Amino acid sequence: MQNKNQYSRRQFLSLSKNGFGGLALFSLLGAAGCGEQTLTNGLGFSDFGRKLPMYPAKAKSIIFLYMDGGISQVDSFDPKPRLAKENGLNPYEKFKVDATQFNNIGKILKSPWDFKQYGNSGMWMSDLFPHIATCVDDIAMVRSMVSDFPEHTNANYFLHTGHGLQGRPSMGAWMNYGLGSDNDDLPGYMVLDGGLIPPGGLDNFKSGFLPASYQASILSAGATPLANVNPMEKNPALQARKLRLAKKMDASLLGKLGHEDQVNAAIKNYELAFRMQTSVPELTEIKGESDLTKRLYGFDSDDKHTSSYAAQCLLARRMVERGVRFIELTCPNVGVDRWDQHNNLKDGHMRNAHAVDQPVAGLLKDLKQRGLLDSTLVVFAGEFGRTPFAQGKDGRDHNPSAFSIWLAGAGIKGGTVYGETDDYGYRVVDKPTTIHDLHATMLHLMGVQHEHLTYRFSGRDIRLTDVHGEVIAGILA
Amino acid sequence: MRHYYLYIMFIFIGSTFLFNACQQETYTGPLPEKIDFNFHIRPILSDNCFLCHGPDVSSREADLRLDLEATAKAVLDNGRRPIHAGNWSESEMMRRVTSDDPDLQMPPPEMNKRLSPKELALLEKWMEQGANWKKYWAFIPPVSPEDKTFAPLPNTSQKIDYLVDKALTANDLSQSKKAEKAALIRRLSYLLTGLPPTSIEINEFVESENPDAYELLVDQLLASPHFGERWARHWMDLVRFAEYKGHEFDYPIIGAWQYRDYLIRAFNQDVPYDQLVKEHLAGDLLDHPRINPDNGLNESIHGTQFYTFSENKHSPVSIKQEEADVFDNMIDVTTKTFQGLTVACARCHDHKFDAIPTTDYYSLYGIFESTRFALLPSNTGLDAFAKVDSIEAIKRKMRELIVGNKGETLSLYTPSPNIDAVERTSIPTTVGRSSESSGIPQKILTNATSANKPTIIADFRNGTLNSWTSNGLAFNNQNALGEPIFNKNGKLVRLEEAKVSSRILGTGMQGALRSPTFIINREKLLVRAAGEGAMIRLIVDNFQLIQAPIYGSLEKIVHEGEFKDYVLDLSMVQGEKAYIELLPGKKTSKDGKGHYYEFEATAWIEATYALLFNGEQIPPAPPLPSFTFTNKSDAYLHWRNGIANPAEIAALNQDIRQGKWRQNTIPFHQLNQKIQTLAQNLYDTTFFQAVTEGDAQLSPVFIRGNRTTLSETKVPHQFFDALKDYSPTFSAKGSGRKELAEGIANPKNPLTARVMVNRIWHHLFGKGIVETVDNFGLQGKIPTHPELLDYLALQFIEADWSIKKLIKNIVLTEAFQRSTIPTKSALQQDPQNLYLSHFPVRRLEGEAIRDALLAVSGDLDKTLYGEPFEIYLTDFIKGRGRPRNSGALNGNGRRSIYQTIRRNFLPPFMLTFDMPAPFSTFGKRNTSNVPAQSLTMMNDPLVQQQAEVWATTILEKQASFEERIESVYLTAFARKPVDKELADAQDFFKEQAEIYEISASNLFEDKQVWADYCHAVFMMKEFIFLTG
Repeated sequence: MQNKNQYSRRQFLSLSKNGFGGLALFSLLGAAGCGEQTLTNGLGFSDFGRKLPMYPAKAKSIIFLYMDGGISQVDSFDPKPRLAKENGLNPYEKFKVDATQFNNIGKILKSPWDFKQYGNSGMWMSDLFPHIATCVDDIAMVRSMVSDFPEHTNANYFLHTGHGLQGRPSMGAWMNYGLGSDNDDLPGYMVLDGGLIPPGGLDNFKSGFLPASYQASILSAGATPLANVNPMEKNPALQARKLRLAKKMDASLLGKLGHEDQVNAAIKNYELAFRMQTSVPELTEIKGESDLTKRLYGFDSDDKHTSSYAAQCLLARRMVERGVRFIELTCPNVGVDRWDQHNNLKDGHMRNAHAVDQPVAGLLKDLKQRGLLDSTLVVFAGEFGRTPFAQGKDGRDHNPSAFSIWLAGAGIKGGTVYGETDDYGYRVVDKPTTIHDLHATMLHLMGVQHEHLTYRFSGRDIRLTDVHGEVIAGILA
Repeated sequence: MRHYYLYIMFIFIGSTFLFNACQQETYTGPLPEKIDFNFHIRPILSDNCFLCHGPDVSSREADLRLDLEATAKAVLDNGRRPIHAGNWSESEMMRRVTSDDPDLQMPPPEMNKRLSPKELALLEKWMEQGANWKKYWAFIPPVSPEDKTFAPLPNTSQKIDYLVDKALTANDLSQSKKAEKAALIRRLSYLLTGLPPTSIEINEFVESENPDAYELLVDQLLASPHFGERWARHWMDLVRFAEYKGHEFDYPIIGAWQYRDYLIRAFNQDVPYDQLVKEHLAGDLLDHPRINPDNGLNESIHGTQFYTFSENKHSPVSIKQEEADVFDNMIDVTTKTFQGLTVACARCHDHKFDAIPTTDYYSLYGIFESTRFALLPSNTGLDAFAKVDSIEAIKRKMRELIVGNKGETLSLYTPSPNIDAVERTSIPTTVGRSSESSGIPQKILTNATSANKPTIIADFRNGTLNSWTSNGLAFNNQNALGEPIFNKNGKLVRLEEAKVSSRILGTGMQGALRSPTFIINREKLLVRAAGEGAMIRLIVDNFQLIQAPIYGSLEKIVHEGEFKDYVLDLSMVQGEKAYIELLPGKKTSKDGKGHYYEFEATAWIEATYALLFNGEQIPPAPPLPSFTFTNKSDAYLHWRNGIANPAEIAALNQDIRQGKWRQNTIPFHQLNQKIQTLAQNLYDTTFFQAVTEGDAQLSPVFIRGNRTTLSETKVPHQFFDALKDYSPTFSAKGSGRKELAEGIANPKNPLTARVMVNRIWHHLFGKGIVETVDNFGLQGKIPTHPELLDYLALQFIEADWSIKKLIKNIVLTEAFQRSTIPTKSALQQDPQNLYLSHFPVRRLEGEAIRDALLAVSGDLDKTLYGEPFEIYLTDFIKGRGRPRNSGALNGNGRRSIYQTIRRNFLPPFMLTFDMPAPFSTFGKRNTSNVPAQSLTMMNDPLVQQQAEVWATTILEKQASFEERIESVYLTAFARKPVDKELADAQDFFKEQAEIYEISASNLFEDKQVWADYCHAVFMMKEFIFLTG
């Protein structure tokens, strides 16, 4: 129900721009019960309507591959030969060292991995990602990311909501608030829980002060993919008859009330919920996928974490096909913590990389061969990077002053390397790029100008990008 | 008023969709006769001009302010005035807002914003009428309606109706008829207690012919203990109530549930709202705290728990930033909750719309910097204080027995003649308490001359507290000097030397001793201490979640009976402000979660001195403070009067050692026994996190909100600039919370009562008179019924801030009792029902829905108060800090308000039905409509379970099918079924039984079919909506 309305809102916005009278439609939308807060609060909704620039959208969907814990940029995407030369030296003698989360600063630590150049673009990538390396010509690498927070929870909230504390709407919620879902039967924002819910918990995926309709639905790999989506009745007819009785009663209630949008909307909502009982299991049913496809993602891997992440990536593609707006994948639990290698960097990063490398490459290739990559933005990012010097002997601490992320697909100029860090990969020296910039770019590719996607809360028109954010033009096709 | 309504519509949408098409058109519709600056003009200026020409200097353009009358009407460089009273065509503003020249046009073209023809017409008429300027409406004190018909009306409810009806008439709207009695009892019961009425209550009320039946029902519901549960939960939304701190591991906010119980009691007892305000802001500082008559415990102090409900993190890389984030949240919640002001908007710049400068923000910041988080004992009340008094009296008696007060020498020493002389004067009540004299001024600490010289923070060997302060019973707010010490056999062995001790009243006493705030200017802190199960904590920038990594060195466990040097490494916190906390308790973990505390019965801590130093070498003890001993007779006298110095006590101890105290003649043993017995009863095992007073800290302004760029001058503690007349002058000492409380609770404060009556109105009608209940500023909504809002506010204050009386007066109105079925005119002219021609249909809140499931099924446990019940864990509840144990699916039948609020694991059922995440003030919940709600009612195991419980309850009672269906309807919908509904039910049973293959004879007795039927009832909208 609400999906339909949001979709029609978008149509409506383009209609109103084309000169159709807005008022009647406006009240229709008001009647739909969605975005009630917006309507009653006044300016938020209409601002949005007026200002939305309606760029031609490059992307219909976003897949956000969340690399929880903070991948080390100097071990993955940002080669730094100087670390090998100065391996074991005291970092304090080489550069100014910031306070770190664990305050256990060791020596400069070279990367345990070799870097090579790949593809026509000759992009550098370490041996951690042999499969993703085969996709570099579709990838724009941003090596100059910075974050405001060195702690996981805050950095997670920041990456997900544009604000370091609990309570703001997640980017997926904003996308759906702005654009709605393209599918009547599925929520427009889904999180595929790979096994690890990031620090900060489910609040990374909530709708904050936006209506609850925009929050993520969390899909798990278990027997019940979505909370309460499986009917408990043994026979579908049993449930259907209960619903029929309820509906009959509701109809007579509605008759008595005369005119009641809210109740009417709640009634319709049951119809959507009923359909979701079918559409969600259908979505997660992958029996029909060919072996070739499954192998591409790594279903047959000996590493059970690879095969489980492969299933998540395949599901993401199926969601894209079904018009889900924003899909996030969280990391599998590989048994040595997520990418947060405060010690034992080599083993931990190796295991995490192995779990995601082939599935992610498979996803990119599969999307491409199906012609979906042109309309799907894939973002691969953690919440911050890691220090070029050791924590203790063989770990790396958090580093919000420089990290690498990459984007691929819709509207992205493949083979691009954007931004630069210093010789140690410790700080950004060229084109510093913020989380707000990332959000602005994601919105831009979805056809929304980030300054104009606002919601009135607490006396302010609040944006995903707060009062910041510039589209990263250098990575756009 | 009709114009006004149209005007609102235009504010929302006028300039957005329609304007481009009709920009050149002239507005020909109706305009108000008299244009009101506050209600018609200021919103236009605020929305279109203030961003660049408002209060915030940092974003101001052309050095022009349009939010002030003087500048808005002053002559500009071009000789014109922005606003020209009497002639709009002379106005520069009008020229620009109507211009199409991109260089002139206002708002500028890039804002993509134009004024509507109606807005232009309003501005023109207003200038023609003289451009009368007024103070912002919410800052003008409320006034009684000037209306000849109004004053003589006999009671408050009729007056409210009069004002509601006046707006209806003005908008050509007519009232819907009165609701059915069944609908009314359901409405009242849910809105006042959050629970459905029972079938007995319904039948009684519906059948009663007593004309006062409705009022009696209201009284009965207001007196119900469940009233407090309902209204406490509303309030908890305001103070972002949570029992865990969120962040990575969701550490506990200790004793948060005690605040919830405090609220329930307060609402049930109808504690006057101004008192509630004072208790929240400064409950620890009240001259006459509210004492619970049942147990003698201090109620007021629980109010301050609300300060502690913010998100907190462990191991922040910047401890100062963490403090700033916590305070920002406290400022946000405090100002929105009590004043409807968004002061948090002034963190980085002066408020862009309201008269809230950054100094308002940083004044509060300083107030909170001067406030300390503290664990307070829960069960230490009048009873405990009486025991302490008894202990002190016994100790006094001991001293008297030794030194005497009748002239004779009693047991020992030859008195000097002057003992007698002084004896006649009464013994000061402060016997045993050292006077607080030699506190170390902060500037001495911060301006140490030589970096290698240790800075002494306190030397308790001088017999004083050195300006440290204690709360709880530990330390008894005194130096231990001269306290008699007994051995196991009850023999007095010596008098205590000078130090601080948590066991003056016995071991296991709860509480803490805290130093004045100082600046950390050395690498290390040394505290000379001894103890058991105790801790030394250094609280830096009010940071509480001390642990590794980073801050592990800021606390030390003290668990050795011998005095030794405890050294804390301060390298991570150089230059920060801090205070030392001596705690006779220790950190522990519970259910796998850290940052709990325990105070063991054997715990104690003592300390002799504390100093800051540099280097590896542990500095020796500072030289002993020197004191003069003149003669023994003075020493004895001084001891008895509690003013002996360490040298004098030493002399007395010499006497004791030499056996000069003939203890046989004095019943020391007996008295000591008494003390021990009394002290045992003082041991308190429960406590809660709240606040206590610190010393005054002033904050500079953080320029652009950045903690590293500070203003040169600091902001004194002061009240909000726009309301400064309403607070007393702030003392230079202490936090200033008391003055803050008095300013807010001042009956003359134009916001406090308005904001609260509006919240109550909102909870009763589903919509506030000011719809943005937490924001009475310019970015909020203007009131739909300004006169009514003022009247309610004045009435509220006059009726001694009684919440129950206000609620009663509102629910007795006709407006409240109207049917939800709208009139035709209402549908057309007021589809949002701003003017309350009918009662709005309302969906129940998550708590009320869950409580209703339990209530109708018979599973509800109506027990009040107590520790929370755990959430039921499903596979979808995961992440760091996940609770170890699942609660029962039905929460053991307890009401939803008693469910644990874990910040990172909020109860899914509640979230689905729009319980706000606890991060800010939410006076108004969303009412969303999401499939997860339907999926919950369809498939959630709790709903299914409750349907089964209900079926069992129904079948337990002998009754016919019709009677049973009737009882289902009464319980669920507070009405009887009509024939068609009975028939539908019958059909349903038959259909369902068919699938189950149940024989026709047994079909109406089958539990499974009944459960299916009950489940279907739960899925009916009438179950979760208030209609009729």
